[in-house]
Amino acid sequence: MAAAATCGTGFGSSGSVAAVAGRSGITSFQRRGKAGGTDGGPRLLSIAGTRPSLRNGQLLVSTGLPALDQLLGGGLAVGTVLLIEEDKFNIYSPLLFKYFLAEGVVNGHTLLIASAKENPANILQELPAPLLDYNCKKELGEDVHNPRTPESDDNMKIAWRYQLLPKMEQVGPVSSSRFGHYYDTSKKIPQKLLDISKCHEFFLPEKVSSTLAVESCPLSHGYTKLLQFVQNIIYTEGFDGSNPQKKQKNILRIGIQNLGSPLWGDDICCTEDCDSSHRLTRFLYILRGLLRTSLSACIITMPTHLIQNKAITTRVRNLSDIVVGLESFIGSERETNPLFKDFHGLIHIRQIPRLNNLTCDESDVKDLAFKLKRKLFTIERLHLPPDLSDTVSRSSKQDLAESAKLLGPGCGMMAGGEKHLDF
Amino acid sequence: MLESLLALGGLVLLRDSVEWEGRGLLKALIKKSALCGEQVHVLGCEVSEEEFREGFGADVNNRLVYHDIFRDPLNWSKTGKAFPGGPLGILRAMCRRTGPGPVTVALDSLSWLLLRLPCITLCQTLHALSQPNIYPGDNSQVEQVRVLGLLHEELHGPGPMGALRSLAHTEVTLSGKMGQASASILYRRPQQHATLQTWWFSILPDFSLDLHKESPLQSQPHLDPQTTQVDPTAHLTFNLHLSKKEREARDSLTLPFQFSSEKQQALLYPVPGQKSHIFYEPDAYDVDQEDPDDDLDI
Repeated sequence: MAAAATCGTGFGSSGSVAAVAGRSGITSFQRRGKAGGTDGGPRLLSIAGTRPSLRNGQLLVSTGLPALDQLLGGGLAVGTVLLIEEDKFNIYSPLLFKYFLAEGVVNGHTLLIASAKENPANILQELPAPLLDYNCKKELGEDVHNPRTPESDDNMKIAWRYQLLPKMEQVGPVSSSRFGHYYDTSKKIPQKLLDISKCHEFFLPEKVSSTLAVESCPLSHGYTKLLQFVQNIIYTEGFDGSNPQKKQKNILRIGIQNLGSPLWGDDICCTEDCDSSHRLTRFLYILRGLLRTSLSACIITMPTHLIQNKAITTRVRNLSDIVVGLESFIGSERETNPLFKDFHGLIHIRQIPRLNNLTCDESDVKDLAFKLKRKLFTIERLHLPPDLSDTVSRSSKQDLAESAKLLGPGCGMMAGGEKHLDF
Repeated sequence: MLESLLALGGLVLLRDSVEWEGRGLLKALIKKSALCGEQVHVLGCEVSEEEFREGFGADVNNRLVYHDIFRDPLNWSKTGKAFPGGPLGILRAMCRRTGPGPVTVALDSLSWLLLRLPCITLCQTLHALSQPNIYPGDNSQVEQVRVLGLLHEELHGPGPMGALRSLAHTEVTLSGKMGQASASILYRRPQQHATLQTWWFSILPDFSLDLHKESPLQSQPHLDPQTTQVDPTAHLTFNLHLSKKEREARDSLTLPFQFSSEKQQALLYPVPGQKSHIFYEPDAYDVDQEDPDDDLDI
């Protein structure tokens, strides 16, 4: 039986187990055979752009920034909400928003963009372009037996084996995994990628009629309409499994921009004691319910620095799964602080969910800062710049003498003398 | 300074206070854009029309389209001259513009509107007003729209101020020192970095601008000049710089893993399906006279 067991683990197919069962005849353990494809079976879904988490097998999608994926424990779990608390001048949070959507376009996911400020068609046009992989470059027609290529061998004398690697900026591993992609923020996404992608748009000024009387301010119109829109898309396109004819499962990526701002019809940013504060929290609650029962992931950017009532901010954070806060240095006194001169702002991971789990994948690095380089958005650990001044880390002899006097007679007569031992 | 304020488009907030009044700067901006040949709409709520038009020349006054709310804000006189819908109706009518061409809308003042209208409605209307309409047709012109709003910041709490500031593309804060007015301008282009500039100026009676010591203080991180930086490449125990002879000697050195070019090619571009080759290059000095395998007779 031991030999058969090792044989079974070696092949890992159902055939050997059935053979063992047939041979011994006593076990009734039957592994369920491979499904013919009509029903999904108990296997993990293999959808493009997703991978199971290493911890608990939860299905993850990439947020578009591999550095952020790593901090969140592998990626964004399907069915959860990523809340991004906007920075003060709303410069960097649209970038994260666009990375998320661009990742959806590259992986072939369906997009749903909702905004009250900017037309979603314009947002789509401004997505960043993905950086080409090395494999793609090779397929693009590099002639291997070109007699002219030996000339490039003279460029590198010692490291000539690395000549064929593409000269890219410090991007990450060259053989980039298919899970997270790197994007070039200085270029726009190519139009042919956008043409094959599918996107649903929700632009609030178009959906809500503009001829409204002053007295009746429909504060909740925007949220209700958005929820109905999302539910409609999920149902008609079968993201919640309601349409059994769909063979190819796909992920729906929802992006909601500037939720909670006055343009959505919500006055939590304008007054402190508003009687309709529950509208936003109810919206988030219902949205999360919709997401949990479907194959979708959502990113929301919210200007929490404008919300006047701190209780609402806390409730909003509790109702979201992952909360990431951005704090930029522009206009604050930190901009001239030499400690922060290499970075553009701080990034705070405020909350990570515990999904089907008792613990969460918290990274041990809490001081994180981000920097927007010309092409990339990088997240790094906050480190102190090296202190190169003359008066560094050596207390002068005077200070040492003074502190030695405070020690008292019991601490040794050596400290009292003129000569100081330098440890 | 005025050109840069008008160039960006969108909502321009002029935040003034009791000590440093902003109406002069607003009128200077209106005059500038009127002289450039643009359409200027003015919504006057706080001062009367005569007082507002005072100081403008005839050419500017002819270009101003003045909507007067000051005289009869609640339409009590029912003469039919007042616009139906009140100030909000006027703003909404301005959203539906005809014809391309840059348009400037001046709101005097935004505080008046903010105190009487719900903040959300005002924000949504301002947003709709400052969106450029794209006219399909010749060259698909994008219309330049500027909304200049005068805001008295002492009248409002942090909530409405924050909401309006998040909508604005340019924010001018008026302050000053010792009788000299200054404007701190924050440019927030939608997809780009925010920049801060400060200008010292004074407004002349004919509403043109006189800039004083032009000190556009850009906020940049600068190193503290007092800490002397030590050069880490000095006082090293090894040599970082090579002389020319040393460089030549280094270049002529044969490296231990230097292969012949055939071997390099075979390693760099592996031809599939070929069996592995053995490249043997005997070392120059490895000529052994006494080969112990000579007597093996193989």
